[in-house]
Amino acid sequence: MSTAVNRPRWTRQLAGLIRKDLRLELRTKETVVAMVLFAIVTLTIMQFGFGTRDDDLTRFTGGLMWVTLAFTAVLGVGRSYVAEREQRVLDGILVSPVPRIVLLAAKAIAIVIYMTITELVVIPVVGIFFVKGPYWDSIGWIALVALIANVCIALSGTLFSGLALFTRARDLILPVLFLPALVPVIIAGAGATHAVVGGPHDMSEYRGYCLFLVGYAILFLLVCIATYDAVFDD
Amino acid sequence: MSASGVGHIYGERPAVADVHLDVAAGERVAIAGPNGAGKSTLLRMMATLLRTGTGTLTVLGEELPGGARRARCGIGYLAHDPLAYLDLSPRQNLQVYADLFGVQDADRRIDDLLDRVDLIARADDLVRVLSRGMAQRLALARMLLHGPRLLLLDEPHASLDAAGAALLDAELAAMRTDGRAAVIVTHEVERIASVADRLVVMRRGRIVVDEPVAGRGPAQVRARYEECIA
Amino acid sequence: MPSSTTDHASRRVIGARAALIWGVIATVLVTVASVGVFLVAPEDADQGAIQRIFYFHVAIALVSLVAFAVACVAGILFLRTRKLRWDDVSVTAVRIGILFSVLVIITGSIWAKASWGTWWVWADPRLVTYLIVVLIYAAYFVLRSSVDDDRRLRFSAIYAIVGFVSVPLSFYSVRVAQSFVHPVVFTSGGANMPNSMLIWFLISLAAMLALFIALLEVELVGRRTERALRALTLRLESS
Repeated sequence: MSTAVNRPRWTRQLAGLIRKDLRLELRTKETVVAMVLFAIVTLTIMQFGFGTRDDDLTRFTGGLMWVTLAFTAVLGVGRSYVAEREQRVLDGILVSPVPRIVLLAAKAIAIVIYMTITELVVIPVVGIFFVKGPYWDSIGWIALVALIANVCIALSGTLFSGLALFTRARDLILPVLFLPALVPVIIAGAGATHAVVGGPHDMSEYRGYCLFLVGYAILFLLVCIATYDAVFDD
Repeated sequence: MSASGVGHIYGERPAVADVHLDVAAGERVAIAGPNGAGKSTLLRMMATLLRTGTGTLTVLGEELPGGARRARCGIGYLAHDPLAYLDLSPRQNLQVYADLFGVQDADRRIDDLLDRVDLIARADDLVRVLSRGMAQRLALARMLLHGPRLLLLDEPHASLDAAGAALLDAELAAMRTDGRAAVIVTHEVERIASVADRLVVMRRGRIVVDEPVAGRGPAQVRARYEECIA
Repeated sequence: MPSSTTDHASRRVIGARAALIWGVIATVLVTVASVGVFLVAPEDADQGAIQRIFYFHVAIALVSLVAFAVACVAGILFLRTRKLRWDDVSVTAVRIGILFSVLVIITGSIWAKASWGTWWVWADPRLVTYLIVVLIYAAYFVLRSSVDDDRRLRFSAIYAIVGFVSVPLSFYSVRVAQSFVHPVVFTSGGANMPNSMLIWFLISLAAMLALFIALLEVELVGRRTERALRALTLRLESS
């Protein structure tokens, strides 16, 4: 019998894993639909939670948007390994010669994609629901900071979901682990949004927050590289 | 494959202790034993899914855990679960694994294997709608996909249907000549006579017997096994 | 002197003597620091007596960071060597670190009440960041209690590393936000303190550091003893 194996290339492994996750998501559409609905419900609750009949929540735009996105991220990240876990495929992936960091990268890229789709809905809805004033001019800036934040969310999120995967009560553990680590992202995301919405455009402030997020992403990338092997190393 | 003094401890109780086991190329070793004897734990260590607590374990010339990734290229692992995504088709599942293992000329090889396990007609249905036996035949195809040199089988006959079992037995028979090795963990002691060259019996985490099957028939193997665990 | 060599060896492994020595050092230093801070150090011209809490507040804050750094390094060492003693160090350091962080919040809160008339000030970066830090490390124990065996040790080590990366990120993000909202950067206590104050600050810092090491050693002795006892029980059972 022929042995048709080379040392597998990680690019092919990564592409294969991402294709698999997207295929599963396209078929079931569980994660993205739930994330979008959850985000809209959360935004609606926010309006009532502030206990005001005032339509103009422009001052709170950044906070509303990023609190919603953070909770939605927890939801999406929690779904990361659901197929592997419920259908018990993880062992099959782990006996294959795939570097664990490639697993992380594949899951992180899937999360970036899901978050981006969610934001395509959330960012306009926030504008329609809450902002009375100039908003649509800055929408490009908001999108940019959201994209950078998505990378941060995906990197720390995949690391924590890998840990939570093996715990009891994992759906409770994940937010407890993940949200404190997300606080800097919420602060920076809300700050950057605040800098370009409603008030005077303060681009130096906006840049400061974006740079901070880039730093966050780099630091977490390094931590992931250093520790992800140990997550699956039984 | 070679294990020397291998052990693993869950909590404070050793599940596998001080196991010495060498499997040569072309050899087929059956591991039997009562529940909780540590068979599956030992197999998972060989499959690089579980670290050894003590001792050294060398698989396909690679010492674990350092050489685990290289060793994985040559391991074929069959578990209780089919290790397949239920919401993908058999073909898509095999494509995922072909990417992970870097199988060349993947499409042809996948068709080949689907044909051999008699799933070609159902190749594009979801695994979710396949029967248990079919899913396990898919697992068989997955195990063979990358042409492994060491097969690690955990209760292979428990969930295979008759067609699958016949295929597996044929594969195991062919191995003798082409230098591949296999370790088979099994409850069905009678089958050992036909699929293995060596009988290893484990009890409470230790190997109590390691001897050639040497032409014994099913009944004789069963008798010998009963004797060992009594 | 211990009578047999194995007895001697096991005592050394358990390390009771180091714990005792550090306990004495910590007691002496904390006593000296308390006397110095409350009776000897000069009264702050602006803030009055309440400023004295600063000596402990800042010292504890710094030492809690040291504790988390120790936990992180021990986590790295555990992942490299898989030696249980590094897990012991890591988990103990996190526990003491949390204790100290809570003390930072309490002392900071008292100070805030005295200076600004309210127990909690979101504009004070130290209070806010230590709140986040406590949340980060509280999760360490949630994670630890919900996994078993090898994974518990490994995941704890990973989280100790990740947590220590989150700490500076939290500090920095809170300060960045603060600096935009309040252009004046708070430096509680101020960097330019007279030498008479600086000396007492350094002594309280040393006292807190010694206290941390003493607590760490005592807890480690407890853990090692417990483990030695369990190993002995298992050996007796199996023989």
